[in-house]
Amino acid sequence: MRGADYVIKRSVFALVTVWVAVTLNFILFRLLPGNSVSGLRCQACTPQFKEALIKEYGLDKSKWQQYVTYLGNLLHGDLGYSQYNNIPVWDAIKEPILNTLPMVLTGTLISVVLGVFCGILAAWRRGTLTADKVNTWTALAFYAAPTQWLGILVIFYLAANLGLPVAGIRSPDLGILSTPSTWEVVSDRARHLILPALTLGIGLYGEYAIVVRSSMLETLGEDYVLTARAKGLANWEIIWKHGLRNAMLPLVTLLALSVGYIVAGAIVVEDVFSYPGIGLATIDAIDHRDYAVLQGIFLVLTIAVIFSNFVADLLYFKLDPRVTT
Amino acid sequence: MSSGPPDQIVPLNEANVVVGPDAPAEITVRPRSLIRIVLLENRAAMIGTIILVITTLIAIFAGVLAPHSPTEQIGPVYAPPSSKWWLGLDDGGVDMLSQMIYGARISMIVGFAGAAVAMIIGGGVGIISGYFGGRTDIALMRVTDYFLVIPDVPLMIVFAAVFGRSLLNIIIIIGIIYWTSTARLIRAQVKSVRERVYVKRAQSLGAGHNRLIWKHVMPQVVPLLVANTVLTIATAIFAETYIAFLGLSDPTKSSWGRLIQNSLTGGAIFHNAWWAVVPPGLAVTVVILACTMIGQALEDALNPRLKVGHLSVRRFRVRPFSARLDTR
Amino acid sequence: MSRELLRVEDLHVWFELDGGGELHAVQGISFQLSEGERMGLVGESGCGKTTSILAMMGLLPPNASVSGKVILDGVDMLEKGEETVAPHRWHDIAMIFQGAMNAFNPVKTVGEQIAEPMLLHGTASGKSVASARVRELLELVGISGSRATRYPHEFSGGMRQRAAIAMALACQPKVLLADEPTTALDVMVQAQILELLVSLTRDLGLTMILVTHDLPVVAQVCDRAAVMYAGRIAEEGPTSTLYHDPRHPYTRMLFAATPDLYGDDAVISIPGAPPRLDRELAGCPFQPRCDSAFEPCPTKEPRERSFDGRHRASCHLNEVPTGATAV
Repeated sequence: MRGADYVIKRSVFALVTVWVAVTLNFILFRLLPGNSVSGLRCQACTPQFKEALIKEYGLDKSKWQQYVTYLGNLLHGDLGYSQYNNIPVWDAIKEPILNTLPMVLTGTLISVVLGVFCGILAAWRRGTLTADKVNTWTALAFYAAPTQWLGILVIFYLAANLGLPVAGIRSPDLGILSTPSTWEVVSDRARHLILPALTLGIGLYGEYAIVVRSSMLETLGEDYVLTARAKGLANWEIIWKHGLRNAMLPLVTLLALSVGYIVAGAIVVEDVFSYPGIGLATIDAIDHRDYAVLQGIFLVLTIAVIFSNFVADLLYFKLDPRVTT
Repeated sequence: MSSGPPDQIVPLNEANVVVGPDAPAEITVRPRSLIRIVLLENRAAMIGTIILVITTLIAIFAGVLAPHSPTEQIGPVYAPPSSKWWLGLDDGGVDMLSQMIYGARISMIVGFAGAAVAMIIGGGVGIISGYFGGRTDIALMRVTDYFLVIPDVPLMIVFAAVFGRSLLNIIIIIGIIYWTSTARLIRAQVKSVRERVYVKRAQSLGAGHNRLIWKHVMPQVVPLLVANTVLTIATAIFAETYIAFLGLSDPTKSSWGRLIQNSLTGGAIFHNAWWAVVPPGLAVTVVILACTMIGQALEDALNPRLKVGHLSVRRFRVRPFSARLDTR
Repeated sequence: MSRELLRVEDLHVWFELDGGGELHAVQGISFQLSEGERMGLVGESGCGKTTSILAMMGLLPPNASVSGKVILDGVDMLEKGEETVAPHRWHDIAMIFQGAMNAFNPVKTVGEQIAEPMLLHGTASGKSVASARVRELLELVGISGSRATRYPHEFSGGMRQRAAIAMALACQPKVLLADEPTTALDVMVQAQILELLVSLTRDLGLTMILVTHDLPVVAQVCDRAAVMYAGRIAEEGPTSTLYHDPRHPYTRMLFAATPDLYGDDAVISIPGAPPRLDRELAGCPFQPRCDSAFEPCPTKEPRERSFDGRHRASCHLNEVPTGATAV
C-alpha cells in the first residue's frame, strides 16, 4: 500500500514532537516563580498546611523526579489538580472544551467559506477594482485588525441590530419557568455562539483569501490549463476539473497549520464575549495563577496543534501524487 | 566572462516586457534599485510607505504633537470628543489623542525592534544553514522545527511572569517567537543562490566563505530579507496587541494594544464611548496594512515568474478583415 | 496532387500593452497547406511563430486581437473569434505544446487526460471504449498501454512528449500543430520523437505544422518551411530549395549559422537583435542586421515575389530583374 511507511514515519515524528512538547511544557511552567501551592489563599492555609501539601504533591522532590512523576501521571490521563477550583484539571477543562468546539468549528467554517469565495473571485477577476483589489485589501484589513477590537466593534454595531446576545452561553431566563426542549436549548446555544464565531471567522478569513487567490492565479497560468482549453473544455469545466483541485492543495495544509492561530483567536473571542470555553478558562487560569490548569490546557492545545500538523502531512500526501516518502 | 551576478535592472513596467509565449524565464536583480523601483512604481507600496513615514514621525515628535499629558486625568471619565479634546477622554479621564500619539511611539518601537531581533536571528540562522548545508543545516533546522512547536501564548505568559513586563522583554519575546519563518525563507533563497553558476565559479577561483557570502550571496538575499522584515514588523505590532490583551504589557506605557485592552476592561461599551474603542484598533489596522502593502509589493517584484493566466471571462477580439494583400 | 486543406490569409495578432499601445506580434502572414504536407515554421525567439499557431486555434489571451482568415476545409474558423474556432479544437486541429512536460495536470493520471477530449467531443461512446482507445494510442507512440494509469511525474521527459503526441491524436484531428516538440529533450530522444512524428503523419494522413528554431529538425521532418522574422514571413518554400537557393538574406544567414559538425568553419552568428514590435517599422524589418542591405532597404517595404516550385520571398534583392516574376 502506497505510503504505509510514510504514515508510520509521520506518526513517529508526531509522537516524538508530543514528547518534546510535554517536556517543554513541564520546563516552562516550572520556571514560574513559586509553585502551585504558594499561590494558595485560603483560611486554613497555614505554613504547615502548605508544607504538607508540598509533600503530598511531591513538590519537594528533585525536578527530575517531578518530571518522571508527571510523565507517569500523563500516561494515566492525570493532568494534575487545580488548586483554585479544587477539582482535577481534566474535570475543570472538560466542559470548556466541549463549549469551545462548536464555536471554533463554526468560526473556521465561516472563515474558510469566505476565504475560498473571495480568493477565487479575486483570482478570476484579477486586476479589476472591486472584485480583486477592494476584495483582497478588505480581507487583509480584517486580518490585520486585532481580533479583540473586531469583537468589540461587533458588539457595538452588530449585536443590537441582529438581536443577538453578547455574553455567556445560555440565556439566564431559559429553563426558569419550564423545562426547555432540546430544540430550545440548541437554538439558545447557537444564538450565543454565532457572534463569537462570526468574529473569529471575519478575523481569520483574510489569510485564506490571499492563499487561495495566489494559488488559483498560479494554477490558471499553468500549461495544463492552456492544454485543457486547447482540448475544447469550457472555462467552468477547466476550473472545476483541473483548477480547483490543484489550487486548493495549499489551502488544505494551511488550514491544518492554522490551528495555532485559531486557538489564539478563540482565546480572545471568548474573553470579549464571556463565552465559557477553553479560551476563557485560559484567561481565568492566568488571572488566578492556577498554573496546573494552565499547564493542562496548553498541553491539550499543543497536542491538538501537533495532531493537526500530522493530519496535514497525511492529507497532502494523499491529495498530491507527486509527494513521495 | 565575469564572475559576478548579472547586472540587469528588472523592467517592472510591463510595457517593456515581451508579452506572449516567448517571455524570458529568469531575471536576477540589483537590490537597491529594485527597492527604489518598487516603491516608486507600485501605488500601494507608495501609500504604505507614506503611512509608515507619517506614523514614525508622529512617534518621534510625540512630545511636541501631543496636546495633553498621556497619563494625567484632565476631565471626566469617558468625556466625548469636543474642541477641548478631539478624541475624547478614556476611562481614567485621560486624553485619548495624546495617548494615541504616544502609543504610536511604543507600537513603532516594538514593531521595528521586534522585527529586527527576529530578522537578525532568523536571517543569521537561514544564511548559515543554507550556505553551509550538511550537518549544520540539519541541526539548525531541527532546532527551528522544535521552536515552532512551542506554543506562543504560554511562552508569552511564562516569559512575562519570569522576567517582568517591560518593553524590552516584549521585544525579546517577539523576536524569539517569530524568527523561525524568516529562517526558513532565507535558507531556501540562500540554497538556490548557492547553486547558481557564478557562485560555484567564484568558489572554484578560490574565494573564501566570507567573500562568497558577502559579495555574492547577500545581494540576492537582501531584497527578500527586507520584504520579509517589513512583513514581520506588521506581525510584531499585531503581537503587541495580543500581549497587551493577555495583560502582559508594560502598564506604565500606553501602547495601542493597551488602549484597546483598556476599552474592554474599562467598560467603554456600556458608555457608548466609541472614541475609546475605534482609534487604537484602527491605527493598528492601518499601520499593519501599510507594512503589508510594502512587503507584498517587494515580494511580488522578487518573483520573476510573470505568469499569464490562460483563462478569462473576456475573450480575444476579432478585427474586421481588411484586404491589404497588395501593400507588399 | 492532394487538395488544399489549410489556408491562412493575412493573419495579424496584436497584444494590448499595460501602459497603452499595442504589440503587433504577427504582421499579416499567409500560407497554404495541402493534405498530408509537413511544414516547418522557423525563426528566432519572439518572431511570432508560437503566437501564430496559437492564433490558429484561438488560444489567445483576452488582451489580444486578431484579424485575417484561417480556413480549414473551406471553413473560416476565425470568423467570429472564440465562437467559431472553439468547436474545431482538438477535433479538427490539435496542438502539442512547447514544454509538453507541463502539459499534463500532475494530479490526474495520463490516461484520464488523454481520454478527456474523447469523452468531451463524443469520439468515444463511453469510458471503457475510451480506455481501450487510450491504450491503443499509447502503443502507437511507443509507450506500453499499461502505463495509462500512471501519473505524469512517473514518466520521463521523452515519454511525456510521446504521451502528449498521443493526447493530440485522441480525436483524430486533420491538422497537428507541434510547437518546439523536441527542444527540452536530449539529442537521442529528439531523433526518436521526430521519427515518430514523421511516421505518424504519414500513416495517419495528417497535416502538420512544426514550429522550431532548430534548422536541422526542419530539414529532417518538413517538406516545406516558412521563415518568420519580426512577425512576417520572410521566405517560404521547399526545404531543400531554401537551403540551396535562398532568396532572402535572413534565410541564408540562418542556414549558415547552423554549426557544421565536421567542418572547421567558425560559427557565424547573426549579430544584433530583432526589432521591437510595439511601434511601426519603416522599410524592411531585417535591414539593421542584414549583410546585403542597400539603398531602398531602410525606407521601402520589400514586396513579395514568387519563384518556381511554390517558393516566395520578400526582399529588395529580388527586384533586380533576373528570374523573378511579380506577384
